[in-house]
Amino acid sequence: MIETGIPKLDEFLGGGIPKGKSIAYYIQPGVEGEIFGLQTIYSSLKKGKTGVFVVSSTIPDIIKGQFKEFGWDIHQFKDKFFFVDAYDTLIGAPSNERFVVSNPDNIEAFSKTIISAMKELPSSTIVFGSLSTIIDLCGEKETIEAVREWNKMAKIYDHVMVYNFTAWPYSEETLKAIKEDIFNAVISVGGIAERVIFGQYFGIFKSDWTKEIKKSMLFRILRPGGIKLYIPKILVTGPFDSGKSTFVHALSTRAISVDRLGTTIALDHGHIDYKGFSADIFGTPGQERFDPIIKLLSGESMGVFLIVDSTNPTDFIRAKQMLEITKSYGLPYVIIANKQDLAGALTPEEIRKQFNLPLDVPIVPVVAKDKKGVYEAFEVLIDKITGGL
Amino acid sequence: MSDYTLGIKELDTAIGGGIKKGSNIMLIGPPMCGKEIVLNSIMYYGAAKNENAVITVTTRESATHILEWFKEQKLTLPLSRIGIIDCVTKTLGGASVENENIKIASSPVDLTGIGVKISQFFEEYFMKKNIRKTQLHINSLSTILMYSNIQTVFRFLHVFTGRIKAAGSLGIYMIESGMHDEQAISILKQLFDGMIEIKTENDKNFIRVVGLSPKPSAWFEYEIEGANVKIVGRK
Repeated sequence: MIETGIPKLDEFLGGGIPKGKSIAYYIQPGVEGEIFGLQTIYSSLKKGKTGVFVVSSTIPDIIKGQFKEFGWDIHQFKDKFFFVDAYDTLIGAPSNERFVVSNPDNIEAFSKTIISAMKELPSSTIVFGSLSTIIDLCGEKETIEAVREWNKMAKIYDHVMVYNFTAWPYSEETLKAIKEDIFNAVISVGGIAERVIFGQYFGIFKSDWTKEIKKSMLFRILRPGGIKLYIPKILVTGPFDSGKSTFVHALSTRAISVDRLGTTIALDHGHIDYKGFSADIFGTPGQERFDPIIKLLSGESMGVFLIVDSTNPTDFIRAKQMLEITKSYGLPYVIIANKQDLAGALTPEEIRKQFNLPLDVPIVPVVAKDKKGVYEAFEVLIDKITGGL
Repeated sequence: MSDYTLGIKELDTAIGGGIKKGSNIMLIGPPMCGKEIVLNSIMYYGAAKNENAVITVTTRESATHILEWFKEQKLTLPLSRIGIIDCVTKTLGGASVENENIKIASSPVDLTGIGVKISQFFEEYFMKKNIRKTQLHINSLSTILMYSNIQTVFRFLHVFTGRIKAAGSLGIYMIESGMHDEQAISILKQLFDGMIEIKTENDKNFIRVVGLSPKPSAWFEYEIEGANVKIVGRK
């Protein structure tokens, strides 16, 4: 068993990756995911294992520089750490590495070097810096078949195989083979996107040696430091007396409010752990004089609940204005049609009309004081936040 | 509606005032026609006059060179809105230091890495600096195509032209004419909403815009004066 060294991931995987197994980091384009392979090999070297890094998109020296940026001294492992250089020959430069692929756009040449490294070295962690580049150079079908072969060999020679894969729009067949077929485990590394990508998460897509864990963790990348977990912030806003504090308290496993005479003047704060996703929840005050607080809080949020009192359409103008403040940060949002239990409450569809909202904006009917609909609303927002992968 | 302008008045007017957000445009022309300067002038105008953020992916000149060029032309770029992804320096073994304006990609082959840096600049401008309008300039697709095959580049562009649309930005992708086969160009064209086309005839340079207005614009003859693209006639 080797450890990936990525917080929580080893725990999800039941301790790490067993010998003979293969794992793919399935990375959404634009997300800084290749560090997953880097951190995995470093963690494995630290535990005294032999490591091999297959470089196919840049020269080995640049990869060495990346380890350094993270504060990881690989020099100390020089007797146990090897590169398979599949780049220098591509640009016609000489290579100083122990293993060199003579012809990186030919999968047979690739296989020859990989397999000889597998045979020569003791049980190792073999990390492919970019499987996608190999696919780009050698072809989709050809590479998939070769990977299948390498993974078989790994079982025989007790290696752990780790692949960084950027999920460019390849053929459906290729993406399916990678997601479902040729690896023992697949970790998805995705981005939270509304108009731009502004947060990153990972989760287990599949794993055949541990029971399925449906959990996603948000992470940030620190230099030095590597992958660190990150607890996201979700904003709850809406006009005065729409039920924001009630909503925050209904949703949270624990919550406090800073208020005076029953109305929130600073903020509500709560924390939720639900279906493997945890978040900090911040409720803003509703009165206009506190708008700067909304701006302050929305800047670092991942998503927004806009609470409206379904019985009070006159407040919708104010609600819309508050939405504009948070929307200007490009955050995903869900509208909470609160107080559905009261007489005269408008239905979500009537609210959509009044707000003139497009059909893709979710409006969830809720009775916050009875906790009705609050978790459904949370799931809708999480789906919006993590949608896209 | 015109959300973006090129800053070359005659061209902007010819296409109805400017370009709508979410557009992806190919800038195509022969070698030595000054298209880098055309792109630089669009960059300067976008950042300094229109107050947009401008992200440039450079595969030919280092980021430092580009910034120096503007200095030599006595043009002050608003640096807080300028992002350059340098794919040259590291492969040449040059000293590479990242800063607020410069991110270093490991090589022109490393499309994954380039993609990550583009996303990071987008996040910074959009989420942290609250700048609504961003231009992405790629200089140039020709170099990227020398290192990766057409399918690979197509996949990369497919993702990023989509992101430009989603973010309501403007993408300009420079490519050399005459360097790639027609088929490659027509495959890539599918991804673009329009083209800025440049041609040279009898030592004169002409420029026009295709696909951004009902009919292609006229061919305008232009001259480069320092950093300025000056229209001197019409064909």
